[in-house]
Amino acid sequence: MAEETNQLRVRLVTPARVLFEHMASSVELPSKSGYLEVLYGHAPLVAELGAGDVTLHDGPEGDERYNVNWGFVEVLPDRVTILASDALKPEEIDVARAEQQLDRGLQLWKEAGESEEKYNEALRVIAEGEAKIASAAEKH
Amino acid sequence: MANVLDLRRRIRSVKNTRQITKAMKMVSAAKLRRAQERALAARPYARMITSVLQSLIGRIDIFDPETGNLRHPLFATRPEKRVLLILISGDKGFAGAFNANILKTAYQFIEANPDKEIDIEAVGRKGRDQMRRRYPAAVYTEQTDADGNSRMVRERKAPVEVTGDHPGMLLKLEAGRVFELAQEIIGRYIHQEIDAAYIVYNEFKSVIQQRLVVERLLPLIELGRQQITGAVEPTMAERERAAEAAISAGIELEPVDTREADEEARKFGTAQVDYIYEQPSEELFAGLIPQYVSSILYHAMTESVAAEHAARMTAMDSATNNASDMIDALTLHMNRVRQAAITKEIIEIVSGAAAL
Repeated sequence: MAEETNQLRVRLVTPARVLFEHMASSVELPSKSGYLEVLYGHAPLVAELGAGDVTLHDGPEGDERYNVNWGFVEVLPDRVTILASDALKPEEIDVARAEQQLDRGLQLWKEAGESEEKYNEALRVIAEGEAKIASAAEKH
Repeated sequence: MANVLDLRRRIRSVKNTRQITKAMKMVSAAKLRRAQERALAARPYARMITSVLQSLIGRIDIFDPETGNLRHPLFATRPEKRVLLILISGDKGFAGAFNANILKTAYQFIEANPDKEIDIEAVGRKGRDQMRRRYPAAVYTEQTDADGNSRMVRERKAPVEVTGDHPGMLLKLEAGRVFELAQEIIGRYIHQEIDAAYIVYNEFKSVIQQRLVVERLLPLIELGRQQITGAVEPTMAERERAAEAAISAGIELEPVDTREADEEARKFGTAQVDYIYEQPSEELFAGLIPQYVSSILYHAMTESVAAEHAARMTAMDSATNNASDMIDALTLHMNRVRQAAITKEIIEIVSGAAAL
């Protein structure tokens, strides 16, 4: 394998298209159970992603960040493939809409009552809204 | 008999019509090209979701060994009593028999299942309008149960009812909206409001490779394979007509070769190594399966949009040809009329001179 480069091939795929395929030295992923960082030579891993930022380090355009709200990742020693239902660059995020979403989430949360299903849905919406706002608020 | 002036006017009018149909054909061709590109771009994601699901199923049983329960409710099959039919038609007319054919297939499906209760979700305006005219909309009433919680209860009045429509979904196809629809359908299946879901749509591989299909969406019996339960192939003549139109508009006849990319995508999550699964398999299933269902729906919609544009392109090409034929016929007729008038005048002059 490409011993001399030690670079990961990172692909980000959304339902509509393949967003990019870049080389990077490491990538941070918002797994459902917390952030994880993948370096070259990582053990094979399959994980579900929650709401948060995917960050590429030392990519062709320096560090790159994408906000995803649900995804799936496959890690192989030299390759990372991210399936995301939606991926936005921080500057593409519509903060007003994200805030609306957060409000809607809180509303759902209040109305959820005893229903676990509704509660989880509300938590998901809140997490999405919060992640978007946080992502947009970080340096542009 | 019509005089020369009238004929000239008619020719001009037909020429204008031809100009319009020609423009519509070129517009459809451009839209078709874009729709084809979009369908192509959506493939890696769908393939990857499918392959990772297949690989998960290969590694872990779909039955939980401890409890014996299915790992996901969408694998459960029940006798089909209530069926959901998702009808994907076009938003606009002027596309030849495109919408009529889809509706015909849907009616055939409904007639073939007279003893089942059928719900219809209409995507696309043309199909929605027809279905609404023919079948009643589902009625929901709010009821309060013993605990004081109010919930919506559905009262079924007819065996076939329209439960919802999605205007404008095809106009601007967004994966997010399709996913919401998929979630709703899955919810209905899990709550046992429906026992199966089918999609009726026009499959489009290329201009000459397209057909109308009825595809089973739920339950998931076989992952990664299209569960086609009925298909109508176009006739040879229709296919030739479509090919002619495509050639004149500069559209590729053969589908673009995607084998390499498909092969690459199929490898996703299926490498012969022991993966560490970050989450337990139930959670992975629960996250992946809605995406899988949504990707089937999205695929059906992108293909249907491409097929609609192709159908419109073909129809407009035929219209343009017909207009040209009509212009030729009218021009011939006009020349004859003019010649006849000239001849008549000459006869008058000659016979007038002879009488002198």
